[in-house]
Amino acid sequence: MKQGNTIVIDPVTRIEGHSKITLHLNDDGRVEEARFHVTQFRGFEKLCDGRPFYEMPSLMARICGICPVSHLIASAKACDSLLAVKIPPTADKLRRIFGLAQVTQSHALSLFHLSSPDLLLGMDADPAKSNIFGVAEKNPALALDGIRLRQFGQKIIERLGGKRIHPAWIVPGGVSEPLTEANRDAILWTIPDALAIAERTLEWFKSTMESFREEISTFGNFPTMFMGIVKKDNGLTFYEGKLRIVDASGHVVADDLDPTNYSDYIGEKVEPWSYLKSTYYKPKGFPDGIYRVGPLARLNVADRCGTPRADQELAEFHELQRTAVLSSFHYHHARLIEILYCIERLEQLLNDPEILSNHVRAVARPNALEGVGACEAPRGTLFHHYKIDEQGLIRWVNLVIATGHNNLAMNRSVLQVAKHFVQGKRLNPGMLNRVEAVIRCYDPCLSCSTHATGQMDLQIQLVGPEGEVLDEITRT
Amino acid sequence: MPRVLIVAYGNPLRSDDGLAWRAGELLHGKFSADEVEILCLQQLGPELGESASRCECMIFVDAASGAGNPGEVQVREFSLGSGEATEAPRFCHALPPSAILGLSERLYGARPRAYCVTITGESFEHGESLSSPVTAALPRLIARIEELVQSCERTGRGQP
Repeated sequence: MKQGNTIVIDPVTRIEGHSKITLHLNDDGRVEEARFHVTQFRGFEKLCDGRPFYEMPSLMARICGICPVSHLIASAKACDSLLAVKIPPTADKLRRIFGLAQVTQSHALSLFHLSSPDLLLGMDADPAKSNIFGVAEKNPALALDGIRLRQFGQKIIERLGGKRIHPAWIVPGGVSEPLTEANRDAILWTIPDALAIAERTLEWFKSTMESFREEISTFGNFPTMFMGIVKKDNGLTFYEGKLRIVDASGHVVADDLDPTNYSDYIGEKVEPWSYLKSTYYKPKGFPDGIYRVGPLARLNVADRCGTPRADQELAEFHELQRTAVLSSFHYHHARLIEILYCIERLEQLLNDPEILSNHVRAVARPNALEGVGACEAPRGTLFHHYKIDEQGLIRWVNLVIATGHNNLAMNRSVLQVAKHFVQGKRLNPGMLNRVEAVIRCYDPCLSCSTHATGQMDLQIQLVGPEGEVLDEITRT
Repeated sequence: MPRVLIVAYGNPLRSDDGLAWRAGELLHGKFSADEVEILCLQQLGPELGESASRCECMIFVDAASGAGNPGEVQVREFSLGSGEATEAPRFCHALPPSAILGLSERLYGARPRAYCVTITGESFEHGESLSSPVTAALPRLIARIEELVQSCERTGRGQP
């Protein structure tokens, strides 16, 4: 819808959450400014006040139906810190398996169900057909692969946690139940099929990239820093390690940062037009401290994946650009390489001789009044930070969510796409879809990042120099 | 795969929207696990299309809003080969039953007979308890589902 010199896109479709985009035009009718507004309300940090700390993993898992496991992991790690325990090695590995399954199913959802219509049918496709049915019609094998790969990850979560969504299997001190031999073998049996799907989807994706040269050059293609957790050997990890930050040229800006001290180097800024906070790297200030997290960032900060096939693909990925890989369009590519890594790593962990051990939980009373847990969620680095009183009741909570880390970059990406594709005072579906599609590259989860309940919609507004709304598109 | 798949879905933290979960609990143990599988879900995802393709009959249990009086039980059969299966939602991880059936047919070449059984809800606010009209209607809902299961077991899969 156009109102004055503003275009409004509301709701943004095929993302996790409710948002709108406003595009502000100058007197010449060209886009001057763009904003990605998250219109859901944040409330989980207050809701937890006064609850017993051991309830936190289960409570936190309720933030999101897409990646509850990541919240379980970060929350349980924060609680491990409160207990001041080192969890049993098998529990550590089982949590990693849980997390890898989660990343696989979440990445599959993003790529196959949300973004594959753009990639398969094109950015200018009829919006009524840009969905899983359009994909099923044009390439049924791709649609089937998406369903099977997501099922693969969900089934692992269900086998370990008892249910696919909001499982409460991860607990402070470890996990609640060991892995059975039958479940281990059943999961291993599904690995070859999942691996084959990941391999052929990656090949298909790479074959499509040539048709998206314009999008690659304009979808969040600008210099920023990138942040992610890496292992001691600077390899890819989703569970444990040190934070590493590289700049746009690929040079290390900061290394070996302890995630528990995140507030020393990460600032959070509130904007009046969005419920989603923007984070920035404190030494460079706001907004120069802009950085990106998630698949693209993880592959930019990691020297290696640590599994054979993913390492081959990572080497090819790094050849896309001599510096860090900058275009946010390549989030899709990075996501597929990570899926490959997750499946390979799952197989390694499931074949570990200790994986069936019954010793999976350390029990203790609280031994510290403050704890931080960090991990790599599918969309990027996730921090849970709790303070408790002597009775073990939560007194303060701070959650820093992946989508918040990417907020500055998403806003800048929308501006870049809008400047390139939106011209004049009217919107057309192709323009609209590209503005949405750049957001989809980041796979934002707004329920997570604002900790809200609600459904997902998108609105784009085109705003004139006097603040009048010139055009507006709303989808509900 | 059992011949009949019952999918009870809704949000059990939203009062009457959770009625299907309560129905799922009440139905538990009433049927042979070899014949009837019961799933309780928050929402319907594309993955359900595969399960749909492997059963002969599918019964969706849901809360209805705004259709009829609170506590009213309604049964609707999804007609085979109708256009409703091509419904194309924008938000792909929460689909209506017709979309699940459409995916089953398009991707797996099979579609079960399917019904949607609902109770009209009174309250969808935050809460874990059901309203009085819905609580009173649950036995009728269960009875209708039992009839449908028996009917499904007699007739099997319909032809698209």
